[in-house]
Amino acid sequence: MRNLKFQISNLGFVGWAVPTLILCAILSGCTKKPESAASSAGSAQTNKQMRIISLAPNLTEILFALGMDDEIVGVTKYSTFPPQAKTKTNVGTFWQPDIEAMLALSPTLMINLWFDQQAAVVSRMERAGCKVLTLRIETVEQLHEAILKMGQAVGKESAAEAMGQRLKDKQNEVTQKHADAGNRPKVLWVIERYPLRVAGRNTFINELIEMAGGVNAIGPTQIQYPPINSEEVIGSMPDVIIEPVMDSEQFDRQQSSAAEFYSRYEIVPAVRNGRIHIIDGDLVSRLGPRLDEGVELIAACLWQDEPKP
Amino acid sequence: MILTSKKLILRCGLAGLLLIVVMVACLMIGSRNQLSTGEYLSFFKALHGPEIDGLPNVHYEIFFRSRFPRIVLAAIVGAALACSGVVFQAILRNPLADPYILGVSSGAGLGSIIAVMLGWTWTFWGLSALTAASFIGAMGTVWLVWNIGKVTGRVHVTGLLLAGVVVNALFSAVIMFLSSIATASKFQTTMLWLMGNFAELDQISPLVASGIIVLLGIVFLMLLGNQLNILSFGRQDARTLGVPIERTCFLAFGCAALITSVAVSLSGLVGFVGLVVPHAVRLVAGPDHRQLIPLSAIIGAAFLVLADAVARVVVAPAMLPVGVVTAMVGGPFFLILLIRYTKTVHWGNA
Amino acid sequence: MSIIEMNKVTFGYEQQPVLKSLSLSVETNSFWAVVGPNGAGKSTFLNLLCGQLKPDEGKVHVDGKPASSYSSQQLARILSMVRQEFVPVFGFSVRQTVMMARFYRRTSALFENADDIKAVDAALAATDTAAFADRPLGHLSGGERQRVFIARALAQETPVLLLDEPTSHLDLKHQIRIFDLLKQMQQEQGKTILLVTHDLNMAAQYCDRALLLGAGGAFFQGLPEQVLESGQIQSIFGVQGHQGQLQQRKFFIPLGRFSMDRPEKPA
Repeated sequence: MRNLKFQISNLGFVGWAVPTLILCAILSGCTKKPESAASSAGSAQTNKQMRIISLAPNLTEILFALGMDDEIVGVTKYSTFPPQAKTKTNVGTFWQPDIEAMLALSPTLMINLWFDQQAAVVSRMERAGCKVLTLRIETVEQLHEAILKMGQAVGKESAAEAMGQRLKDKQNEVTQKHADAGNRPKVLWVIERYPLRVAGRNTFINELIEMAGGVNAIGPTQIQYPPINSEEVIGSMPDVIIEPVMDSEQFDRQQSSAAEFYSRYEIVPAVRNGRIHIIDGDLVSRLGPRLDEGVELIAACLWQDEPKP
Repeated sequence: MILTSKKLILRCGLAGLLLIVVMVACLMIGSRNQLSTGEYLSFFKALHGPEIDGLPNVHYEIFFRSRFPRIVLAAIVGAALACSGVVFQAILRNPLADPYILGVSSGAGLGSIIAVMLGWTWTFWGLSALTAASFIGAMGTVWLVWNIGKVTGRVHVTGLLLAGVVVNALFSAVIMFLSSIATASKFQTTMLWLMGNFAELDQISPLVASGIIVLLGIVFLMLLGNQLNILSFGRQDARTLGVPIERTCFLAFGCAALITSVAVSLSGLVGFVGLVVPHAVRLVAGPDHRQLIPLSAIIGAAFLVLADAVARVVVAPAMLPVGVVTAMVGGPFFLILLIRYTKTVHWGNA
Repeated sequence: MSIIEMNKVTFGYEQQPVLKSLSLSVETNSFWAVVGPNGAGKSTFLNLLCGQLKPDEGKVHVDGKPASSYSSQQLARILSMVRQEFVPVFGFSVRQTVMMARFYRRTSALFENADDIKAVDAALAATDTAAFADRPLGHLSGGERQRVFIARALAQETPVLLLDEPTSHLDLKHQIRIFDLLKQMQQEQGKTILLVTHDLNMAAQYCDRALLLGAGGAFFQGLPEQVLESGQIQSIFGVQGHQGQLQQRKFFIPLGRFSMDRPEKPA
């Protein structure tokens, strides 16, 4: 029982190792096609034969925003935005990519997020002749870099630059609007209730909060999303509580139970003044092209005067 | 070496005093300040009550609505786990038994993961769905193990152990499966619970109820002390020395399983308390269960209160699961105990 | 008046009968020796007597009632048992172990009273174990541990004592002491004693009844000189030996291939 975590990561290993071994034989057939894409490092043509797989939801969003609708052939299960993404072939999840499905799509380019466990997937795809672009998107700065790199890889540099500029302008706009407000509201960003878990200071969410003119209620922690106890909630005295919810069904439930759940903290300003905001998690849980909408949403929560019920 | 009621009361009294000192000290420790003079001032302010000068008293909230219930919870869970560890070791005649050996852990784990996966958020009389589901899971599994383990209709130690191992393995497999298909956040909720993490209670009633149940359970088990002493010599001796084996096993087992289920439903799987504390107390106070049970309960409570204080403070403002602290302290401690133990008591033919 | 009665008792493990149609009657205040080769069913016999095992056929009655109908508490008033093997798991001391025999007398009291303490002290003195009364069982030699279990049976103060090879690890001095003690209890306190032993000669010296169990359910019971007769011993045990007599008590010395003074082979 205590080795649960260890056993689960082992399961993941078995989960992709077996299909990988099976597909070793099929590889020989795949080497012919991707030759044209192998030299696409610097070429700027919009290649109709470009077949792209995206292994993360925010990467999918960026690709669509760059206008690559047709070239995308495969996305992961939770790539739900924009709606067209749902029509693309499912290649598994971020944690458990389905290599078999990926190879069957004969991709020319695979874009994924930097992650240890995916190193073997990457080498497998490269050996199949598929080009791989691995990006690190953990801060807003890295998001901008990633957009430019992706633009280069698919030959849409100008679109990428435009996107990046638009986002930067919007960010600055919001930041300027509230730069001279006296008190920066303290924000408690609740990502889970049981146990109570919040976003810490070394997350991109914190960056968004600060962009919107707020400050994280809890102090610096080593853990990115630490569980905290009630003493910390009370002691930090947040002015606003923001709780993003991913599932639309869950949304109503969380909304209706919010008052009761947070009533135990009624001594803190956020609860006393009714400034508890349950928001759509989609906009603020990924670093992607809708970043500006996310920051606006947060700013609206922080600077609204009417208390929400 | 004759145990009298006077000696027992004296020893329990001393241990109880130690527990109170530990609890008060840990009340002064929190994620914001630790044992500073500022903290004592805050404590005095807290004593003013829920309101001070007409405004809500933050210090009161922190000391009496946040820290104090948690400390009491830690004491209750620690007492329950240590006491039932003693009892399981006696019934199973196995010094390596802990409260989870007969299926309580996997049963509670399964109950809780089902509650998490189905997204139950209803509360029942101040208890969250997680708490209620894990309690039912624990008790249900114990009942299952008890019935499977009765070889030829009689209680058989080896049968119980085997049944426990099988049920644990089976349920663990189901838990692993469910975890593998869970979304990331649900998975983390489960993991944290499995590591032992105290629930936040917003009402006093579950705390009072569980405290009463555990206290009554400990007293009841203490009264079975003589029988447990004799049971630890084996069923043949028990029969000729006048101990009704079936009834005693059933009562002791049932009571220990009950208080363990209560503890686990409130705190998740906190390990090592039920294994290490009985050994430590036995080394100091001897194996007589009439005093081993109450003393282990008190020392177990103190141990977990301390561990909880460490968990609250060491990565503040974040919080560690208590089970992590007990494992890190309990592991090496158990190793030391093991080395000393083999010198004082012979195990079998060793 | 018999305190233990066995009526045509048959018992076996997996179709192999260990005891077949065994009938005997143990009178109050008698001293029985139960002897036989390994696997003949001596321990099984004792376990049937205390109701731990149920006979496949036949009846075992203790004090008029079937042995298996007794609750543990009722049984503990009548008989006490000294077992053969023991492996201590937890570090109980000698005194604590012997004190456990007094448990059945108190139904509700958690602690011992003065009578209990006196009985335990007397039992420890009688078995010469008072010197290490506070030492854990695990620290004693096999023989010392055996004496502790005998002390425990004594402290239980029951009318019947069942002992399964209680002197197998004891030195000569303590062997004699224990037999003397048991004989004294029979004569002065009216106890009934059933003793399983490998020592045929001690049995012949001290017991007034004997039960010889053989393989496949054969048995002989009666007076020691009848049961422990040379020819019978030699056939049941499968050894040859020399029979002698000392002051009306017969004794038997087994002789092997390399023993000295081998008599002529019997016809």
